[in-house]
Amino acid sequence: MLLSELTAPAPRLALVGLAKNTGKTVALTALLSELAAAGRTVGVTSVGRDGEEHDVIDSRIEKPRVWLRAGSIVASTDVLLRASALPHEVLERTGARTPLGTVLIARLRGEGTLEVAGPSTAAGVRAACDAMLGYGAEQVLIDGAIDRRAASSPDVADGLVISTGAVLSEDIDEVVSRTRDAVELVRLARVAHEPRARMLAIGPHSALLGEHGEHAQLPPRFALTASAADISAALDDAPQARWMLVAGALPEHFVRELAHLLHRRARELTLVLADSTKAFLSEHGPGWYAGQGLQIEVLEPISLRALTVNPIAPRSHSFDSAQLRELLHAAIGDIAIFDVMSPDYRGSRPAAIA
Amino acid sequence: MPRSEPDLSSVRPYADRLGDGLVQLSFTLPVPYSLAARRAALELAARMGFEEPEVVHYEQLTPGYTYFVMYGRCVQTVDFESLQDEGFDIEYMDRDEIERFAAERIGRPIVVVGASTGSDTHSVGIDAMLNLKGYHGHHGLEGYRAFETYNLGSQVPNARLLAKAIEVDADVILVSQTVTQQNLHVQNLTQLVEMVEAEGRRGEMILACGGPRVTNELAKELGYDAGFSKGTYPNHLATFIVRELAARAAVPR
Repeated sequence: MLLSELTAPAPRLALVGLAKNTGKTVALTALLSELAAAGRTVGVTSVGRDGEEHDVIDSRIEKPRVWLRAGSIVASTDVLLRASALPHEVLERTGARTPLGTVLIARLRGEGTLEVAGPSTAAGVRAACDAMLGYGAEQVLIDGAIDRRAASSPDVADGLVISTGAVLSEDIDEVVSRTRDAVELVRLARVAHEPRARMLAIGPHSALLGEHGEHAQLPPRFALTASAADISAALDDAPQARWMLVAGALPEHFVRELAHLLHRRARELTLVLADSTKAFLSEHGPGWYAGQGLQIEVLEPISLRALTVNPIAPRSHSFDSAQLRELLHAAIGDIAIFDVMSPDYRGSRPAAIA
Repeated sequence: MPRSEPDLSSVRPYADRLGDGLVQLSFTLPVPYSLAARRAALELAARMGFEEPEVVHYEQLTPGYTYFVMYGRCVQTVDFESLQDEGFDIEYMDRDEIERFAAERIGRPIVVVGASTGSDTHSVGIDAMLNLKGYHGHHGLEGYRAFETYNLGSQVPNARLLAKAIEVDADVILVSQTVTQQNLHVQNLTQLVEMVEAEGRRGEMILACGGPRVTNELAKELGYDAGFSKGTYPNHLATFIVRELAARAAVPR
């Protein structure tokens, strides 16, 4: 199956990289050429900037250009649209302001390459996607930037493709384990139906919930600011609590502390987040914390459609593509894994970067 | 002297008359002070594309090193007109203008929370922007009536910076970080943006980052509203903040 076929059910498809240079934009260009070949009208936006000639941090790295056919719809800034010199019709001025100009929604009247820089904020991305779908895009592709995930939230996108690659580590096993952790995080399970309904009713507050309908609201910004003593006190005040609902961001130090305190009390608890983009775990994956008695679940899961791999770390090392994909498959299992630059990929491969 | 109007679609440097292309350049070569060194400099300037290169001064810096000052004619031009309307840069206001603009258009104290985040131990950038003392004789935002500032210092975790920003209902979060080619600090910068999103505050906060390698292009990739690099004075930052707040108030999102 092709990447574009596998991702077709998601009208708003987010592309997220686990780091810079994991091949997000290459995956985007592969999708674009497959969709163009299938005659589909696409909309494209980027939370960062796409299609630039050189990497913004290491200018020695050349980046893939973004080529769009006539009729494509794009969310990019006034400045970049003008600089592209491609004929286009402005459909809407979004008012979204970025360091590279104000974002417009435009339909291209001719084919060619351009730089894409759409709204930076999750809410702005959602609005731009809906606008592009409204103007006739059959699917909107949301390209990520660096390792940003916010636009893959179910509040914004309907599906996700993750890009990973050799750039994560010189050790292939480390690349595999970090990718596995990231996939585990993205695939956090939806909390059971009964407590979920109660949690949705609580609204935007953090709280501890028990089996029998009882709940204790936690102070604002609890997960951002609570000390070990604060967490201890909250746990001891609610000895029957089975779930902890966290309303906003979940930083790792809070999870670490909570897991430690639960372990000391021989208690188990399930942390519940709005969705996995709210979790900031870099030391351990959710599986590790589950082993410590702390499950993590979400109100809304993310639909992960595929992984793409870039076996090359620019100006550094590279792995054998097939071997990397096999190791990832063994570690992660039921997910499609593509290297769109590999000769064995059956889709329309994007042209190699010079 | 008669003055002709420059053609902004095709500009090049000038010294004596418009379009003469004259450039002064200076550099050091790791070669002994000698006639051969002078020939090397001439050849190098020619390879750089300069026409009629001449060495106007050269001297020994230290044995084995020669310093040159040269003139040459640059034959390349740039289309300034196409760059001019890109709107990347803004005209900076001075402190009095900023105070007046803020009083008229914002009409309340603008809350700015700043820190050097993560493992970055440098607080120079943040101190220069926020502290009363400022630098080069330019007071930091603390010295403005329009701003209420909180400087959390260096090595501040993102969670703490964000919690403080929410607590004081900040209009602006300002982070300073050294971005290296190895990407060391980039993930910490993106994490702050993602945490602000996770807290549902992204629409109501201006995020600005500063550091030696931070450009607007990098700021866009990182998810910030603006990037500030070397050569930024507090009034540059303040001008951006008051203009951005006024523009956002004009277009409610």
